[in-house]
Order: sequence, then structure tokens, then C-alpha cells
Amino acid sequence: MSVAHCGDFRQTYRDDMTVLRTRFIRIAVGAFVVLLYLSPLITSNYVTSTMTTIAIAVIGALGINVVTGFTGQISLGQGAFMGVGAFACSYFMRVVHMPFWLAMPMAGLTAAAVGMIFGLPSARLKGLYLAIATLAAQFILQYVFMHLDAVTGGSNGIPSPPPEFGTFAFDGDRSKYYLTITVAIAAVIFTTNLLRSRSGRAFIAVRDHHLSAEIMGVNLFKYRLLSFAVSAFYAGIAGSLWGMYTGYISAEHFTIAESINYLAMIIIGGLGSVLGSIFGAIFMTLLPQVLTVGTGALADIFPKIGFLIMSFKDGVFGIIVILFLIFEPDGLAHRWRMIKTYWKLFPFSY
Amino acid sequence: MKRFTASIALAAMAFLAGPLSAQDIVIGNLADITGGTGDVGKPYADGIKAYTDYINANGGINGRKIKLLQQDYAYKIPEALALYKKFKDQDKVVAIQGWGSGDTEALKEQVAKDQIPYWSASYSAHLTDPTKSPYNFFCAPDYSSACRAGLKYIKDNWKEKRKPKVAFIYPDVGYGKAPIPGGKAYALELGFEIVGEENVDLKALEATTQLLNIKKKDPDFAWIGGTKVSTSVILKDAKKLGLRTKFFGNIWSADEGMPKLAAGAEEGYMVVIGAALYGDKVPGMKAIEKFTNGQPQVSHWIRGWVSMMTMCEVLKIADKNKELNGPGIRKYAEQLKNFDTQGLTAPITYTSTDHRPFMSVILAQFVGGKMVKKATIDLPRKQEWLGL
Repeated sequence: MSVAHCGDFRQTYRDDMTVLRTRFIRIAVGAFVVLLYLSPLITSNYVTSTMTTIAIAVIGALGINVVTGFTGQISLGQGAFMGVGAFACSYFMRVVHMPFWLAMPMAGLTAAAVGMIFGLPSARLKGLYLAIATLAAQFILQYVFMHLDAVTGGSNGIPSPPPEFGTFAFDGDRSKYYLTITVAIAAVIFTTNLLRSRSGRAFIAVRDHHLSAEIMGVNLFKYRLLSFAVSAFYAGIAGSLWGMYTGYISAEHFTIAESINYLAMIIIGGLGSVLGSIFGAIFMTLLPQVLTVGTGALADIFPKIGFLIMSFKDGVFGIIVILFLIFEPDGLAHRWRMIKTYWKLFPFSY
Repeated sequence: MKRFTASIALAAMAFLAGPLSAQDIVIGNLADITGGTGDVGKPYADGIKAYTDYINANGGINGRKIKLLQQDYAYKIPEALALYKKFKDQDKVVAIQGWGSGDTEALKEQVAKDQIPYWSASYSAHLTDPTKSPYNFFCAPDYSSACRAGLKYIKDNWKEKRKPKVAFIYPDVGYGKAPIPGGKAYALELGFEIVGEENVDLKALEATTQLLNIKKKDPDFAWIGGTKVSTSVILKDAKKLGLRTKFFGNIWSADEGMPKLAAGAEEGYMVVIGAALYGDKVPGMKAIEKFTNGQPQVSHWIRGWVSMMTMCEVLKIADKNKELNGPGIRKYAEQLKNFDTQGLTAPITYTSTDHRPFMSVILAQFVGGKMVKKATIDLPRKQEWLGL
């Protein structure tokens, strides 16, 4: 069936659990996934590696959306948790000699454990107070990255060996892309399903009204902590992939700026929406690059004011983000829904 | 679908960047013009651009012009990585002029794998060890040598019987920490007494707590491993607290603009400089003075000029031998022996086992609001110092 009923007609449990509801959507999503896998064959390595960074950002953004978008706990430590994952993954591979396939989930679990420790204040703190507590996580972890020389290489950073499968090493742009996009798709599917599970509904209940949730029998502390763990797990996976992508991990990358970048992604994309995490990740990764290339090209055309144009870049970035918040307060995911609704009824809208 | 259109848009943008003639030699330049280190990054990038224009107007690389792709990455590592991919895959650059620790460290493994020679303004000593970073080069004294030279100068001029006391003040980042182990070891070797160690952040607005600690320990000398702004904060606070300690510092810790920031507190401060100062009577300065119409430039600008000059020399040799590619450039760079930068720096030598350009370090001092050359220290090229 390629047309959905007008209204919510779900008569069986099976119906209720369907994610892609019509044949058209199934075909479109299938085609999109196929396109994702084919794209390295038709685009340049530059586009491929940009898409790799987007895929990594999608995983990280999904993570912070679980804790902030779904459970309503502001986290300012996502960048640091990514760092934990990256360094842990490299450590497991270099020192413990684990294969990447084991080291990556282990790094995710390490990050989850660290995330749970720093999620502990959520038992008592909410809103801004919790934000500040997670901010402490960011700075403490940054300090650890700089000084735990044996694991992180201190200020020099440390290499991250490429994953290997048999004799095949994932060290080219394409192979890295395929690995990352596969994990990203798995993360998207997992998150979508997580939200429909008992835990996912508990998360949303905690966000919407914690008192009511508690009265309903939701253990607030357990689910807040769980959301921190899940979120940090995603960050750990994203961090491992980031390490694989760059081949070198340095503490200078996992700063507060990175954490805020992730928070901005889900605010722009749409809080509490899987699709929003994806849109936000795409937007926040591409915008600086488009601006860099764009201002660079403009500066070439007008060499006299080239420097001035380049300096505008950060300003333009800020303005675009602010405009988005004013005109798209519900995020890109909401705009996407509006567009879909418009075309659904086209040309006979009300 | 959005992702796909976005990537097409991106590709289209990149195509717009401008057509090249087949004869041009394409060099990428990752610069920080608007970011956190833009205050010193811009003059450095301007120096690189200026030398490129200069050589293009003066015969180019054996008649071929250099197309310099100067891109501002604002000290953001993801952007540096993205630009690097663009340089490598779309623009097919043969070599890159980079900037600070951020981009250089993040790209170290990749340039080695992709065989793209990378000249940087990050002078961490570990970049000079070709077994670890085979494609990294630079044209200034490394941070550890800078610290050692300062210590040596102090020791050479120490008249008293007792051991001189020294402290180290640096930010807790890669740039600040890099010279500390080497510097401390050399200080002990020279017979210093190390009395203290303090961290002052690069963005610090005051450093009284740290300086009160320093005051208690009363060192004769203290190393400052920060950048211009944090150094001016330290010097001003030290003056306020009445410290008798004399300060000396790393290559990025001060430049000609220091007196404006420190308002007199910089008097007597000794700083390592990597190249000649504008207006020095050396042959290489004539071209610079002519090119800049006598407008003085800071020492970072001159180092950018020298870095591009050295790279161009290597490009010329590689081009003559028809090996103008990554491995070729590395090969001929490592054969560079006593390359004469016309007095702008000491002669530059790289070998396949040692990428330290030279072991001579120039020290300058602030006297009456002016930065003047004080001494040139020649350190021995010790094997055990390589990469440390």
C-alpha cells in the first residue's frame, strides 16, 4: 500500500510497530540508503570524506539527543565523552591488541561508564544546575586527556591505528566512509527503536513531567542515569570513528567548543527527533565548510577586501544560526514535516 | 536526499574556486586568520602570500608560477581536516604550508600516509624526528632548542657563585608543555636549580595566584611558554607584585607589538626570535623592504616569508629533477644543505634522519619599548635531543 489512511488507523500490534508506513516511504528510504552506499563511486574523495564527518556527527548528535532531547537533561560534556571513546579505542587497539571491532564497542562502554559517573548529579540537579555539573565533566576530562600521558599521549596526542579485517586495512577514504555510514545507519535504527521501547517511553515521561513520571512508577534516577550512559555510549562510538577517520587523536579537539557544537546540532535540527539529529549534523558540518570555501572564493575575486570577507565568516555563521532559531524554533525536522505535509495534499491543500 | 543535494552543492562550490593552468604548481596553505591564534597567524600567512607573489614576479619555480590556495581554518581542527581533504583530492596540491599545533598534529599521520610535505609554524621538537613525522618540516628553532638557548645564555652570563634559580611558567597545552621536559633536563645539566612550575592559561586575564607562588620561591629567572597576550599579563602582574625575577620566553611569547600590550612591563624581557627583524642589515631584507614599500612587518611575517622561501627552493630542485611530487619534494628537502636564506635565518639543513633546520637561536630583548637583538646562541646538534 503506498497511501496511508487519513487518521491514525493502526489495528494490529504489528501495525503499531511499523516505522516506515507506506510502500512509497519504504522505497524512498531504501533508495536513499542505496544511494548512500553508491555515492563514493560517483563523487570525489573530498565529498566522501565530508560525508564521513557528517556520519560521525550524526552518531554524536543522536547521542546527545537521547539525553537532552528525549530525557530533558542538558549535557555539556558530549565532546569530552567523544574524547574518552577515541582515546579508549586507541588504547584498546594499541596496548591490549584488540581488533577494532571489539575495541569500538568497548570504547563505547568505557565512555558510557564515564558518562554515568558524570550523570550522577542528575539525581539531584535539573536544568541549568545540571548543565554546569556536566560542564565540570568537560573540563575534568580535558585535564585528564592532557595529563594521562600513558593512555592519551598527553599534549602530543596519540596515533589511532586503522581497523583491519583479515588483511584488509580500513585506511582509505572510501573504506572509512563505508564503515562509518554503516555504524551511523545502525545507530539511527537503534535510536528509532529505543524510543519506542519501555526505556524510551520512560525517558520521554521523565522529560515531560518528572513528578508524573515518578508517580507512574518510573524510577527517575535510573532512567536519567541510563540516558547519560546511552548518550555517552554513542559519543564513545563517534569518538572511536573520529580517531579512525583522522588516524591521530589529540586532546585539542575534544573541547567545550565541540560539546556546544553538538548541542547546537540538535537545537537546530530539532530536539527529541531522530531526523532532527541527522539534519542538525548535516547542517552544522556543512555550513562552516560552505562558508570557508565560499568566502575563500569571494576573497579570490576581491583580493583587496579578501581579509574582511574571511573575517565575516564567523559572524555569518552566528547570524545564520540565530536566524534559524528565530524562524525555525522547532528545528529543521519540523520544517521537513511541513514540506512533506504540503506535498502530500498538493495541489489540493485546504 | 538532502544530504545528496548538499554534497552536489559542495562539489559545485569547489569547482568555482577557479581554473588553473596546467603549468601552475599548486600549494595549499592552512592559515589561521580569524581564529584564536589569528593575531599572529595573519602576519605569518601574509608573509607566505608575500613571498609567493614575490617569486611569481621573479621567475617563479623554473618559469612555472605558484598557485597558493590560502584558506582560513580559524584554528578549528575539523575544518583543517576538511580543507586538507580538499587540498589533497580536489586541488591536488604537491605540498602544504600549515600553521599551528592544532592542524599540524592532527594532520601529521595523514600527510605521512599521503606523502604530502608539510611546512608548519608549529615548532614542537617531536616534529623534527623523521621516524615519527617524515613529512613535517619547519624553518625555525624548535621550542625545546629555544628554551635551551635561553638557559645557556643565562648560564653563560651568570657571575655569582651560587646556582641560578629558574622557574617555568607555561600554559597547559601542547605548545606550552612541549619544551618543558627538554628544558628542565638541560637546566639541571647546566647547573640550575629548578624552583617552581606554574600553569598560566593562554586566555588568562590575571596571573597573581601563580606569580605569588613564584614570588615565594624567588627564582632569578623564569621561562614563559605562552603567547603574546598571556605573556603581557604575566609581565604586568609580576611588575605589580614587585618580583625581581627576570623573564625569558618562547618564540610566540612576544613580538614587536608587545610594548603596546605590556605598557612598559616588558622592559628587559628576553624572547627567542626565529628570524631576522625587519630592517636588519642582511641581504635578504632588501627584497622584503622593497616588496613591503618600507612598511615594517613583525617577525612572524618574516618567518612566513622564510618558510615559503625554503619550500620554493626545494620545489625548484625537485622540479629540475622532474620529481615534483610529495616523495620527490621530501627527498630533495632532506638533501638541502646549508641553504642560504640570505641572512634572514641561519643556513637551513635537513637530512633524512634529522629535520632540525639549524641549531642557532637568536635572542632579542625589549629595551626602551623596542625589540633589539641581544645574542645568537649556537647549540650543539646533539642526537639525543632529536625529537625531545
